[in-house]
Amino acid sequence: MELPLTALRNGETGVITSTDFSSEREQRCRHRARKGWRKHFMVARFAKRLADMGLTPGTKITVVKSAPFNGPLEVSVRGSRLAIGRGMASRILVDVER
Amino acid sequence: MSNNHFRIALAGNANVGKSVIFNQLTGLHQHIGNWPGKTVEKAEGTLHFKGYTIDIIDLPGIYSLSTFSIEELISRDYIATEKPDLVINVVDASVLERNLFFTLQLLELETPLIVALNQIDMAKKKGIIIDHEKAEKILGVPVVPTVAVSGKGIYGMLEKAIGVIEKKRKMVPLKPRYGQEIEERIEDLVILLSKIQLRYPARWVAIKLLEEDREVEKEVLAVSPEIVATAEKLRGELEELHGHSCPTVVTSERYQVASRISGEIQKITEPLKTPLREKLHRVTTHKILGYPIMLATVLTVFVAIFTFGDFTSALLGDFFFGLKPAFDSVLGTGIVGELIWGGVMEGIIGGITVALPYILPFYFILYLFEDSGYLSRVAFLMDNLMHKMGLHGKAFIPVMLSFGCNVPGCLGCRIMETTRERLLTAFVVTLVPCAATSVIILGLVGAHVGIEWALALYIINLIIIFVLGRIAFKALPGEPTELIMEMSDYRVPHMRTVAKQTWFRLREFIVMAFPLIIAGSLVIKFAEVMNLLEPIANIMSPITVTWLGLPLMAGIALIFGVLRKELTLIMLATLFAPMSLADAMNPVQMIVFTLVAMLYIPCVATIGALVKEFGWKKAWLITVFEIVFALLVGGIAFRILTI
Repeated sequence: MELPLTALRNGETGVITSTDFSSEREQRCRHRARKGWRKHFMVARFAKRLADMGLTPGTKITVVKSAPFNGPLEVSVRGSRLAIGRGMASRILVDVER
Repeated sequence: MSNNHFRIALAGNANVGKSVIFNQLTGLHQHIGNWPGKTVEKAEGTLHFKGYTIDIIDLPGIYSLSTFSIEELISRDYIATEKPDLVINVVDASVLERNLFFTLQLLELETPLIVALNQIDMAKKKGIIIDHEKAEKILGVPVVPTVAVSGKGIYGMLEKAIGVIEKKRKMVPLKPRYGQEIEERIEDLVILLSKIQLRYPARWVAIKLLEEDREVEKEVLAVSPEIVATAEKLRGELEELHGHSCPTVVTSERYQVASRISGEIQKITEPLKTPLREKLHRVTTHKILGYPIMLATVLTVFVAIFTFGDFTSALLGDFFFGLKPAFDSVLGTGIVGELIWGGVMEGIIGGITVALPYILPFYFILYLFEDSGYLSRVAFLMDNLMHKMGLHGKAFIPVMLSFGCNVPGCLGCRIMETTRERLLTAFVVTLVPCAATSVIILGLVGAHVGIEWALALYIINLIIIFVLGRIAFKALPGEPTELIMEMSDYRVPHMRTVAKQTWFRLREFIVMAFPLIIAGSLVIKFAEVMNLLEPIANIMSPITVTWLGLPLMAGIALIFGVLRKELTLIMLATLFAPMSLADAMNPVQMIVFTLVAMLYIPCVATIGALVKEFGWKKAWLITVFEIVFALLVGGIAFRILTI
């Protein structure tokens, strides 16, 4: 089942399928020449930043817990512990078995 | 560089013990400053070892060599263009995979490299055993296990470093390989790139073009637009093949290489019982318990800083003002003596007694917290609240501490990642009412108008902070960044490193802010001695009297507030004497005066801190804006209150 990372329960593990929302939308941005360029650029940078931290498609990720009041998520990925803002986390799609 | 004079750069992720190694290597021979034109700290030091003189430079802690942050750009430019004789990659042995990802990028840059496998003792405690000889074989560069805090392995590391620089041992560094379809396209680009001159290795440029690196693309575009066009076409093909954006694909494959290597060289056995640091992490980030613990910690810090500060400040003040008779007897009480004592000496005393007693413990505790790992937990808990004012979790610490004094708040802004965030945080920080502002609020409005009005002023201030913070957040160019950070394991801070960091930052602050404080106090003293205060008050009267509805003399008090905010209150009392404050000002005037004093200008020490962190232009911009804003709010308040 494909879900945003924020929908995972505490302790649940999934495999990242996409970190840039959807490649399809991104490609549309690209073809929309100048107008969409900035947006595409932001999307690409965003995905790159996640990737640099080790959140790449195919990576196993475990949600440890989330901070209260809609705070960030604590996740465990590649043997390290990360805090990810909720907005960012909601754009990461994971495949999870339920 | 001459035969026995080298330059070595330390590079690695954040929180891997890089600064501890830096301190072990350089001792007290350090220089801390900023990178030219950047708000990123630059730490340099010198080491003498076996007849060699080695300059050590501590690059910022980063996770990648892409261009997401200024730190990354600075590090990569330094390595690629300044070409240090060697890069020591400090690696956290207990988070091998993520750290190797960075090592691979250094290898791609084709810089002379050795790897310091640091915190190997911690890794062992976590049940991670690393075969460093095998790592050396795979990576093709020397790998030295180290324990920075105890100095273990540092000597051996230096010997190997010299060996690499002098090329005593032939090793072939690993060239990370990607999948077939990517390698083919890298090859295509390398062939094209070999025809032009660039400051970087061709293979690295080819990879960066596939990663859509804007900076590299710009440089190549200037020489050969065709190559950039080809790269774009190749990226399209790869995206077609993989179904993900090309930069993600390349990064992903690089991580796969890191993952494979770390799998080959480390053995992990889960420890049987939960270690203490893990329990501590759970409690301090707990959804209920986390907050009272944080509150208690912050309050303790607050009380500690101000108890220490008040005590030391009074002690130093007594001591210095005790020197006055001696000064008077030497310089006399004429204009010269008055200027030197009142201008220069009182400026210095002000700096020493007001700033230092608070900044010293502040720096110490800040570095203690940062080093131990608690700072990232606080950021985790406070992220959402700080979002409401356009900041994120990490900004909580500088903002909180600004309630004590804005100066450490401004200096603490460097824990934020991007320039934009630093500037935003600093702006919010200068609006926070500091202890001196509280003295005015409580001493004037609280004592003479009523405590409920004092409280109202605090609330108004908080509302202003939220509103202006949000507006600045929307107005400042650049993209907002969300929190993404590693919460590395808790550890016992390395006291000597923390003490040295405190000392070097303190020294840096003194050099920057003291001339400003002295100059400011000299100018005001000069005006006072020359009897210029009243004419100035008259010039200011359209603003102070007509617009704000304040008594004429209040303008002078506000001028003195530039030096230290609590001086406004003292000056008011002095200027109106023998009349009492309650007789000289009506409640509305008191409220308006306090409102203006609260918002109008960061004191001269804060301006000094702003200049140091952001440069003159931004410091002035903030200062001028806040003066105008305070006058605006004050005038409006005067009109509302007198209806």
